[in-house]
Amino acid sequence: MKRSFSHIALCLLLMIQIHSSAQVPILNSYSPADATVYLDFDGAEVDGTIWNQEGKIVAEPSGLSPATITWIHQMIADHFKLFNLNITTDPAVYERAPVHQRTRIIITPEGNWYGPVSGVSAIGSFVWGDDTPAWVFIHALSDNPAFIAAAATHQIGHTLGLQHQSAYDSYGLMISELSGGENNIFSSQAPLMGIPFYKAADWKNGHPSTGVQNIQSDTAMIAGAPNYIGYRKKGEGTVTGDNTVKIERQDPGSLALNSPGNYSYRLFDISGRLLTQGILKTGYNEIPTSRSSSGVLVLQWQGESGSGSEKILH
Amino acid sequence: MNTLKTILSGFSLLCCLLVSAQKQDSPAELPYSNKIELRDQALEALFQAQVHISLEMAPGFHLEGEIRNKTDHGGSVVSLLIQVESHPGGMLSISRYSDPKGHIHYTGHLMKLHEPEGLMLVEKDQHYYFIETQQRFLVAE
Repeated sequence: MKRSFSHIALCLLLMIQIHSSAQVPILNSYSPADATVYLDFDGAEVDGTIWNQEGKIVAEPSGLSPATITWIHQMIADHFKLFNLNITTDPAVYERAPVHQRTRIIITPEGNWYGPVSGVSAIGSFVWGDDTPAWVFIHALSDNPAFIAAAATHQIGHTLGLQHQSAYDSYGLMISELSGGENNIFSSQAPLMGIPFYKAADWKNGHPSTGVQNIQSDTAMIAGAPNYIGYRKKGEGTVTGDNTVKIERQDPGSLALNSPGNYSYRLFDISGRLLTQGILKTGYNEIPTSRSSSGVLVLQWQGESGSGSEKILH
Repeated sequence: MNTLKTILSGFSLLCCLLVSAQKQDSPAELPYSNKIELRDQALEALFQAQVHISLEMAPGFHLEGEIRNKTDHGGSVVSLLIQVESHPGGMLSISRYSDPKGHIHYTGHLMKLHEPEGLMLVEKDQHYYFIETQQRFLVAE
């Protein structure tokens, strides 16, 4: 009787174990990359980090469904599709990644050990080499998948060394540490490193919280030192579907493009500096580039029918 | 009306002066209030310590604490987490790693959660410094 009970208990435990681990789908956004961000949805015990000033932290599993996790992963991966960086939900991939090019984002219901915030991270911890994780607390985000994806992207940005994008007035005084894109109230865009929840959010070149005299180019900082992630090579996993914007012709000061749909576009130089942005209409488009811009440019486009990016030798 | 303009201009100028008064020549490009140059070998001494640490890191900067965690990733990266008693409750997280040319580098922070300021380790011209900066530049939400 006792033995049967033990067997039943063991089977139950096994089933619980299998069930809980089966909850998180194994996803990788860009497997060739060594640099890795691990999205940890299934709970964690954390000790021996700067967060453990009051002892061990036990983070509960997120409780999100596989479909929701897949959607969140895709949203986050979309923000990093320019970069030579893998967004994974696979702990084994994280373990294999270089210790100086990896971070873990623990996505968990509560962060009572820290306080009433939607997430927290140590700036630049991606390269610390000591596996300091970052956090997203989903109850503080109303368990809203879009908010969770935006908050996780924001925290990943911090681990990659980004400060907040801030809003300053014309005298250079800070209006808000977290810019919500309010400089143009008609704009539907906000910086990912500001308040990314209520507008279409993206990386930005702007004034960070460290001072109006500074310029933070989010993309350049992510790709460059000390992360040394770099950008993806041309044609490697940067395009979704067959919504590719094709380059018809390159002239000094302009690019001729053939677009399969209506897209907003942005053109960067290799350092991540925004050169120009605007709207592409279906069919033939000619967009300006600076006459002095030569070398490698990065074109990003985004619209209802998809998004993508392309490196251009100009 | 002119008086109001003058007062406003004066106030703006004062604000600008106050903002620019914060130093910002640190290698990490963070505004800081204090910079402490560390003694040569002080950082290496941390990695040679056993459990308890009592070390003069710089003139007037004595570090007293205990190692809470040590992680060795095959020798190329070693990380320490030190509970610092001389800054009650503060934690020093520090890593030593070698670059592809074999040069040794250190990164680290000393902070206590929710405190207004923390220390960040920075390297400049082969010297290491702790800069005292607002903690919101080190830990962000």
